[in-house]
Amino acid sequence: MFDTVEAFYRPGTVREALRLLQNGKNRARFVAGGTDLVVEADRSTRILIDITRAGLSYIRRKGQACVIGATTTMATIENSPAIRALAGGILARAAATCGSVQIRNMATLGGNLANGSPAADTATPLLALDAEVVLADARGRRRIPLTEFYSGPRKTKTLLVEVAIPVPPRGARWSFQKLGRTEDDISLVNAAAGLQLDSKGRAKWVRIALGAVAPTPIRAVNAEKLLLGRKVDRSTLAEVCDEVEREVRPITDVRASAEYRREMCRVLVGRALQECAAGTGCSL
Amino acid sequence: MKTMEVRLHVNGEPKQWTIAPGDLLLDVLRREGYFGVKRGCEAGECGACTVLLNGQPINSCLKFAAQAEGADVLTIEGLAHGDTLDPLQEAFLDHGAVQCGFCTPAMILNAKALLDRKPHPSEEEVREALAGTFCRCTGFRKPVEAVLAAARGSAR
Repeated sequence: MFDTVEAFYRPGTVREALRLLQNGKNRARFVAGGTDLVVEADRSTRILIDITRAGLSYIRRKGQACVIGATTTMATIENSPAIRALAGGILARAAATCGSVQIRNMATLGGNLANGSPAADTATPLLALDAEVVLADARGRRRIPLTEFYSGPRKTKTLLVEVAIPVPPRGARWSFQKLGRTEDDISLVNAAAGLQLDSKGRAKWVRIALGAVAPTPIRAVNAEKLLLGRKVDRSTLAEVCDEVEREVRPITDVRASAEYRREMCRVLVGRALQECAAGTGCSL
Repeated sequence: MKTMEVRLHVNGEPKQWTIAPGDLLLDVLRREGYFGVKRGCEAGECGACTVLLNGQPINSCLKFAAQAEGADVLTIEGLAHGDTLDPLQEAFLDHGAVQCGFCTPAMILNAKALLDRKPHPSEEEVREALAGTFCRCTGFRKPVEAVLAAARGSAR
């Protein structure tokens, strides 16, 4: 299937990986887990650059932030005590739904984001967590919000090297919801929420993120604003979910209709916020 | 056609093979005679091509052979010791957990990785470990029983 590939490199550093990409003109591609790239089977690829040996598999603290190397696998993330303890474990929970055991042993966090699928399961919790991504190119590294990574123009000659998660607001509650045909299947809709309440039980900080309902994973910022300063009661939730329905742009495909996806956005966000408000949210 | 060398261990034996840069691990293993590694969907869905790479189950249809440089690969051929079957293989036979047999190597290797990590798993954990392997004969109940029995009976 890949008989057009003329060279396979296994660089030991990011610098070397970027140099190989530069030299490869437009015929070189990075590969890590391979779970998307191999299935895609792009026959224009002549050079493959395996980045799994470039020192990008790690989970560590950097100052107050938690940073995750791009080639860290879903299996490593779902089993990491640090990630399971972070924000009710929503990222670990999402990673645990990214396909079968075998897929999760191969698929990487960087690949899940850089592949650009609107259904990427780890993107929604990372959006709710205000995550940033570190991009490297020949000139150096820069850090941008994940929202910008998704909304900005497609970057070429660039490698996503790290995901950085800032310390979440104190006492925030979290929820991750996924609707798929099975637990391991691709999301029809997924949603993540974070909620911090003040002493009177009113929303002080809100994050609502959704996947598979727009060209990229999105935050429902209007719905977030609507909830701020209010108690999470039935009528407020209904208003917030109405707003979510207006913000999403789902499509119809082989898995589900746009109408169904829109309705499920309402259901999943409602569940997520109720879980957060009740403090029964994400647990592993 | 351009070629390259890959050095790895397969079932404990050191190997050095000449491969094409775009060869997938599944194709190379079958070319070298490891026919227990099954060619199924070739898209990471069915799990029939499962091997253990450094102890972890992966779909060899999604792995470039060049990525296995320096790795330890275990296929179903490497599980028995001579004529002595692995307890998991015995348990699959005892429980009639094999129908056509196409998915059996993958089921057993996934189960082995689970028991190596967790010698006494719950039924749910066994189901989760086998969830990435499709049995087109639809025989999902007996493999779960077999793995649980192997976990009970073995001295792992």
